[in-house]
Amino acid sequence: MSDPAGEAKLEVKQASKEVKESENVAEKYSAMTVSKNSEMNMGELSSAFSAVPTHKPVKKQIQFVEDKQEFSRFPTKAGRRSLSRSISQSSTDSYSSAASYTDSSDDETSPRDKTQVNSKGSSDFCVKNIKQAEFGRREIEIAEQDMSALISLRKRAQSEKPLAGAKIVGCTHITAQTAVLIETLVALGAQCRWTACNIYSTQNEVAAALSEIGVAVFAWKGESEDDFWWCIDRCVNTEGWQPNMILDDGGDLTHWMYKKYPNVFKKIRGIVEESVTGVHRLYQLSKAGKLCVPAMNVNDSVTKQKFDNLYCCRESILDGLKRTTDVMFGGKQVVVCGYGEVGKGCCAALKALGAIVYVTEIDPICALQGCMDGFRVVKLNEVIRQVDVIITCTGNKNVVTRDQLDRMKNGSIVCNMGHSNTEIDVASLRTPELTWERVRSQVDHVIWPDGKRVILLAEGRLLNLSCSTVPTFVLSITATTQALALIELYNAPEGRYKQDVYLLPKKMDEYVASLHLATFDAHLTELSDEQAKYLGLNKNGPFKPNYYRY
Amino acid sequence: MAEEKEQTEASWEHLSLPDEFPEPYMEDRAGLNGEEGEGACVTRYQAVKCSPNLLQMLKAAESRRTAQGRDKDEAEAEASESGTGEPVIEALKTDMQIQFTDQKQEFDKRITKTARRSLSRSISHSSTDSLSSACSDSSEDESPPRDRLQKTSSGLSDFCIKNIKQAEFGRREIEIAQQEMPALMVLRKRVGDEKPLAGAKVVGCTHVTAQTAVLIETLSLLGAQCRWAACNIFSTQNAVAAALAEGGTSVFAWRGESEDDFWWCIDRCVAAETWQPNMILDDGGDLTHWIYKKYPSLFRKIKGVVEESVTGIYRLYQLSKAGRLCVPAMNVNDSVTKQKFDNLYCCKESILDGLKRTTDVMFGGKQLVVCGYGEVGKGCCAALKALGTVVHVTEVDPICALQACMDGFRVVKLSEVVRQVDMVITCTGNKNVVGREHLDRMKNGCIVCNMGHSSTEIDLASLRTAELRWERVRPQVDHVIWPDGKRIVLLAEGRLLNLSCSTVPSLVLSITATTQALALIELYSAPEGRYKQDVYLLPKKMDEFVASLHLPTFDAHLTELTEEQAKYLGISKHGPFKQNYYR
Repeated sequence: MSDPAGEAKLEVKQASKEVKESENVAEKYSAMTVSKNSEMNMGELSSAFSAVPTHKPVKKQIQFVEDKQEFSRFPTKAGRRSLSRSISQSSTDSYSSAASYTDSSDDETSPRDKTQVNSKGSSDFCVKNIKQAEFGRREIEIAEQDMSALISLRKRAQSEKPLAGAKIVGCTHITAQTAVLIETLVALGAQCRWTACNIYSTQNEVAAALSEIGVAVFAWKGESEDDFWWCIDRCVNTEGWQPNMILDDGGDLTHWMYKKYPNVFKKIRGIVEESVTGVHRLYQLSKAGKLCVPAMNVNDSVTKQKFDNLYCCRESILDGLKRTTDVMFGGKQVVVCGYGEVGKGCCAALKALGAIVYVTEIDPICALQGCMDGFRVVKLNEVIRQVDVIITCTGNKNVVTRDQLDRMKNGSIVCNMGHSNTEIDVASLRTPELTWERVRSQVDHVIWPDGKRVILLAEGRLLNLSCSTVPTFVLSITATTQALALIELYNAPEGRYKQDVYLLPKKMDEYVASLHLATFDAHLTELSDEQAKYLGLNKNGPFKPNYYRY
Repeated sequence: MAEEKEQTEASWEHLSLPDEFPEPYMEDRAGLNGEEGEGACVTRYQAVKCSPNLLQMLKAAESRRTAQGRDKDEAEAEASESGTGEPVIEALKTDMQIQFTDQKQEFDKRITKTARRSLSRSISHSSTDSLSSACSDSSEDESPPRDRLQKTSSGLSDFCIKNIKQAEFGRREIEIAQQEMPALMVLRKRVGDEKPLAGAKVVGCTHVTAQTAVLIETLSLLGAQCRWAACNIFSTQNAVAAALAEGGTSVFAWRGESEDDFWWCIDRCVAAETWQPNMILDDGGDLTHWIYKKYPSLFRKIKGVVEESVTGIYRLYQLSKAGRLCVPAMNVNDSVTKQKFDNLYCCKESILDGLKRTTDVMFGGKQLVVCGYGEVGKGCCAALKALGTVVHVTEVDPICALQACMDGFRVVKLSEVVRQVDMVITCTGNKNVVGREHLDRMKNGCIVCNMGHSSTEIDLASLRTAELRWERVRPQVDHVIWPDGKRIVLLAEGRLLNLSCSTVPSLVLSITATTQALALIELYSAPEGRYKQDVYLLPKKMDEFVASLHLPTFDAHLTELTEEQAKYLGISKHGPFKQNYYR
């Protein structure tokens, strides 16, 4: 998409792809699963995105998609699954049915120009349509089912109100799962003002439901960039209310406050940041000596890392491939590039289905692990001619090059589970001699002059976010970690946290995990006093030294 | 293997307390530790400890019986119950033999050849002989090595071993080991010309086995001069020691040293005329300790200490905390590759082996509970699940518990499932994880064994009561019989199953040895000031190098980064590839 050389040639294609992109985005960011008349949905979509000017926004859009994929792990619901498996002609449409039906007819006026009042008479919010609150409430209730950890946190800490007096300004995806988090924070005593960290990811009805109960939400699906910053500004800049905690995803909110309202930081007790980018920005600030409050790096907690990478990918690799290609795995030869957490997950899942798995790796330690786990460690060039599926998860760029794509056999599948869309050199495929044929949503056949086809999934973007779901359980882990990080920062005695970026204390990590054990009906063994003494541990943890590798 | 360290710990305690000094044939030291009840009997047998093997065996077996609160008559009665009187003797012999094997397995990580495997499973009569072929000390035990003067073929006599004539046999042992330690062989080739250890004078105190010999000879080829002592009084392979001595290394070690011998050997190693060590390679910290106590002035010349065991590391950290560490020390134990191999991969392989060898159990459909889901537990669970067992897990750490859940294991409390399971495997590193109350409720025929920290996990002492009858049905396999006839199958008396009843893969040893060699090179050739007087972990790059040296074994082909990719990732093309906090 971003190859200028191919742009002219592909203009027609691109134009149509734009709609497709919109569909993807819509599909991705709405967790709705209402099957509707598909044509109507198409109409909705085009109207929803018609305001977007033609070319540049596409790029922008895609970038947002990537941002999202990388940094925010957005959920899609399990219900969509059946729809997405329908036959190819209709699959596009069925996907689009996932688009939130709530943005139906009243797109005319921007939410900024409307005055809305919730049932309690408050109008300190800005959402698409407050009337959708009831529907959004149901969404939240569904999400609550899967996020039992937060619910039990509410119960356990409700009487203490550990966040009483906390004024939290948040900038995350506004989805049913986030809503559960926000409402948990409220239940623990916090006041919240919230905005979206992504212009497409908001579930309008959820935003409405939040507004209805008195959380000041400024977000709707399909904001312009101007809207985006306006929302953030409205969140921070209110009379009579100054935040003392920040919950950020991507670092935009922090950035805005640094630029516009540096004074506010005097009152801020801490920042909780979830995304890789945001954490990176915080570390940069800290290095430059410009970080003036303590910040908590939630992204690198053990539980989150393992779930985001190992477990999540282990589940979604099969789902993503099945949905898009209906491939059978038994006996297929698969090469997985990279044997980090993601690679380990993919390999385990594929092996379990009887695939013959090869691994490529640059790090000898991981390579040795690959060997010990029973995978052949090879160079990509050695097996490229014979494999049926190539999966990249190195976090690197140009791992699969044109040269290698040229040598693949007919019908082989290429997809990416790794970092954004750099791993497969897709740009090199945008040349005149190759024909692109979109056979399904997220599935392209790239056809060589001799008729050989290579199946490219999700145009080299992250397969598991483009073509499969992210389990709510994963989000639950993140949300619980965020809540605990807020509590920790807010209640920490003066001086425990300096102006630096911190990892969540191991004990908190363990607490997050323990809250999720109930889901599995897992019964944790308790140390006896004697045993604890023998091990030199506290009975209640932390149980492992910091360098433990789990 | 990690556990082996623990045993070293135990051993050191023993060595420093002469009263408890153990009999020269019996049990691993950890075992002793956990069987204090036997202590009295054990000392009784010290009088005859240097008698020939057979006698020792009988005594040993006897002592165990007595320790278990049975007298001979009872034992005989039992024997006749279970068959004829004659097999008792056989069984005892076998028993002892196997214990020799154990010692080897536990302390030397000696590779058992595949051939021996089948033998050890064979019926009792023949196993004795076939196994004894592995022991090289035959008939000339008369005079202690300290009193004998021996000379190598080239006329050197600066060593002290059992019998120099065994050198040829030891050489063959070493050659076999070389086959299985490709990384060190590659290392020899790669750096052989540079002689990175030229001028290094390494004094070492490790198990003296064929694998160590490969390491020592590698160090020599890299330019070092070595003097070596054993870190364990039982683990020495006499033939290998002879071969090393013949090759010109000053070795002071033989199987069955007394404690006095032990320290004498170390002292001879260190206190040589005209030779002052400048590097220390230690396993357990005894050598370091000795030098600190007796020859503190030596440390002025010493460039560094490389320590392998948990105990030794612990001691070094204590020294460092107290500000008394006066040279840099390298912690080899906590390197990534070593940890993963010692725990995850090694246990994954040996759990099945150990259980099969001892009990011939079939796993499919069996219910079992694994206590602890750390690296060892993960390995055990993975292996057992692959054979179709129903695996339950108990855990105290919620993070590990959640991992178990995600890996598809039921996380339970032991008391919830103890009535229904067919096997209980402990690997918590904790003590009294399986108590008498659990054992009382287990079903008939339940197998109980330990893969974790020494012998503390199963509360054995609680089983040594009058109402329970112990019956040894095989080496390392005891039936504990309740008054109602219920039998519990206890393996290796609660000691480490994988070291008592199965082999340790040589690849594991190879990893350790390679890491040690690299640590020595790193410390020796580091520029002044890189390492202060502190305990260091091996640099990640070295870890990666160790791993890469082992890849050819698997015919694995590492991908190389292009310049562009390396730049994109912001790392060097040649590593290190991960941050230090990478899990």
